[in-house]
Amino acid sequence: MNALLSKFSATDADSEIRTAMDLAEEDGLTDAMWGSQAGFGQLVQGHAFNIPAVPNPTAFLRLHTDDHADPNCKIKIQHGTTTLAFRFQGGVIVAVDSRATAGSYIASGTVKKVIEINPYLLGTMAGGAADCQYWETYLGIQCRLHELRNRERISVAAASKYLSNLVYSYKGMGLSMGTMICGWDKTGPTIFYVDSDGSRLKGDLFSVGSGSTFAYGVLDQGYRWDLTDEEAQELGRRSIYAAGHRDAFSGNTCNLYHVKEDGWRFIGNYDITKMHYDGPGAVPGSLGSGYGYDVRTDNRFSVLPKPVSA
Amino acid sequence: MVLTFCPPKGRTTIFSPEGRLYQIEYAMEAISHAGTVLGVLATDGVVLAAEKKVTGKLLDLSEAKEGRYGGSGEKIFLLNSNVIGGVAGITADANSLVNYARSAAQQHLLRYNEDIPVELLAQRLCDLKQGYTQFGGLRPFGVSLLYAGYDPHYQFQLYHSDPSGNYSGWKATCIGANNGTAQSLLKQEYKDDITVEEAIGLVMRTMSKTMDSTTLGSEKLEFAVLTVDPVTKEPRAKIYRPAEIDALLVKHDLAKKDEDAEMKAT
Amino acid sequence: MECSFALTGKDYVIIAADTTAARSIVKMKVDEDKIKTLSPHLLMAYSGESGDTIQFAEFIERNIRLYHIRNLYPLRPQSAASWIRRSLAESLRSRSPYTVNLLIGGFDTADESPHLYWVDYLGTMASVPFAAHGYGSYFALGLLDRYHNPDGSLEEGLDVLRRAINETAQRLVVAPGNYIVKVVDKDGTREIKL
Repeated sequence: MNALLSKFSATDADSEIRTAMDLAEEDGLTDAMWGSQAGFGQLVQGHAFNIPAVPNPTAFLRLHTDDHADPNCKIKIQHGTTTLAFRFQGGVIVAVDSRATAGSYIASGTVKKVIEINPYLLGTMAGGAADCQYWETYLGIQCRLHELRNRERISVAAASKYLSNLVYSYKGMGLSMGTMICGWDKTGPTIFYVDSDGSRLKGDLFSVGSGSTFAYGVLDQGYRWDLTDEEAQELGRRSIYAAGHRDAFSGNTCNLYHVKEDGWRFIGNYDITKMHYDGPGAVPGSLGSGYGYDVRTDNRFSVLPKPVSA
Repeated sequence: MVLTFCPPKGRTTIFSPEGRLYQIEYAMEAISHAGTVLGVLATDGVVLAAEKKVTGKLLDLSEAKEGRYGGSGEKIFLLNSNVIGGVAGITADANSLVNYARSAAQQHLLRYNEDIPVELLAQRLCDLKQGYTQFGGLRPFGVSLLYAGYDPHYQFQLYHSDPSGNYSGWKATCIGANNGTAQSLLKQEYKDDITVEEAIGLVMRTMSKTMDSTTLGSEKLEFAVLTVDPVTKEPRAKIYRPAEIDALLVKHDLAKKDEDAEMKAT
Repeated sequence: MECSFALTGKDYVIIAADTTAARSIVKMKVDEDKIKTLSPHLLMAYSGESGDTIQFAEFIERNIRLYHIRNLYPLRPQSAASWIRRSLAESLRSRSPYTVNLLIGGFDTADESPHLYWVDYLGTMASVPFAAHGYGSYFALGLLDRYHNPDGSLEEGLDVLRRAINETAQRLVVAPGNYIVKVVDKDGTREIKL
């Protein structure tokens, strides 16, 4: 069993953690110096993931979490989501929904799916909520260490590569993440798509999650490089609305962020039902009316209305 | 990579207060008493010759006379199909290095499906030798080598490596006893456009002048030539058999004269 | 679906690879370059399991570069291909094998000849005049048997490549829309607009 444990814990990520631990100890750091420790207390105390005592932990995990193969499986990992990010003339827009589902059950409608890694970096969350939260927070630690060691902010490319290499070292062990690392560095506004397969793609426009196809439909059609800030924010909201409306696993509210040269700014939280009937409210870029099909096409029909019988 | 030693206990190779590594210098000193090995790089090949130190009349050379794979295999070895090595120094150490070189060449073949480039083979051995100049408790290899080889990157090449792990490329060079004399002779006679045929002559003449013994014969000489097959373009290493060496000596008029015949003539 | 093609001609190798990066039914990116330049005269197109592809390609890229730095000359195409094949073969029997298929094309400056190798994730390697990976291979191979000319000019080679790409576009349901085309010859590697 020990051999098995060490086999699975001897990953790059683990050795990274151990290195961090060793460094911390070398520098005479105490636990208290890590502040609240944010769940990373083990960083200083010794770190190993508990792995189920079965011959093949990966298969074990799949057996109990894969609700496609078995709808009655015991553990339902949060999968349904819509997240999007795009780059334009005025920076980066990041928009996400806020619904967490476990199977057919809406576990929460107020989830923060944008992870604020540091004042210049945002990460989005799709796939396993815990995986994203844990590893993107861990990425935040590494980004801060990079700053301290190099007297310079980490580039988006480097941060995303760090995360990509990290999740790749766990490939096949059940991690589930689809994330966009967004930020502004020396090269300007940048987005990288990183997922738990180990893919890492640089691009102008991405959408991730079960509702991504619906979001893409609105996003691709409305996207231009020279969008104004207001237009871009409106496009982000409206795309998330589209997914929240059509995808059963996405919805509740939309969180909107805008990244500019001086870091990210939270723009607002918008109720998707309200957006359907009334629009996002009095915000810059808003048309002032609801996004819903019936609202938008009020009193217009493709069939002539029947003549009113006398 | 290779060096997984126990914690150093001895103090074999440490700097002297003057900043020298005596063990390395002693090793080089040992080599300068060893049999001469001489190499000459020509435009169409490389020539290697080595002096064997015959230790006594009772040494049974009956088997070496015919040569098993060409040559007696005391000083000149086929390291790989494209590299011939000539060794000077402690024979036992040399055997170990030759074995290592052959393995390294085969490992390269396995990985890259090509003959090992000559310089890379020299580097492999030098990495090993260098290790013994640094890690305590162990003695450096008392061996210098000449590598005569061919690869498609730099064609014909001649390298020399010493016990410190230094190596360098040469047009013509010599290691072992009287190497100073030999090198100044080579410096005088070497031309940049020398052919293999001329190089063979140059090597023979230089050997006859530097060797302690007055007469040259196959029992005291090893000889090898590396060329490229004109048809297949593959390197062809030829280590001469004793009989072939004697024939070569006759051709160059350096053969051992039959003393009785000479006496009668006078 | 991923498609890559390659063919040799008189003193050159052409390699083409599609530029889509897909995740389930979604195209995440349409301008991804999946052909790496490993050394001044060596190209490698890679396809297969996402994540594995880029990790393996970068591993190879860095090691080929390291050899170049250490020895001042790069590995010859034959040797590079043998080493890459061996890396894949060793990976196959490891705990997590790389699922990556490759086309390796290079120009050997030592004997002035083009070389093309087809390599799959099982570590099979074949030296071939032309090659393809993915669904495109089912359409291209027959066509290449018919039209490939081993001593054709570069223009002729590009014409044959166009045929293969057009045929795939015409008949394959999930044909990719865009390709990156690279050529390697005595002057090194370069990208070509078809």
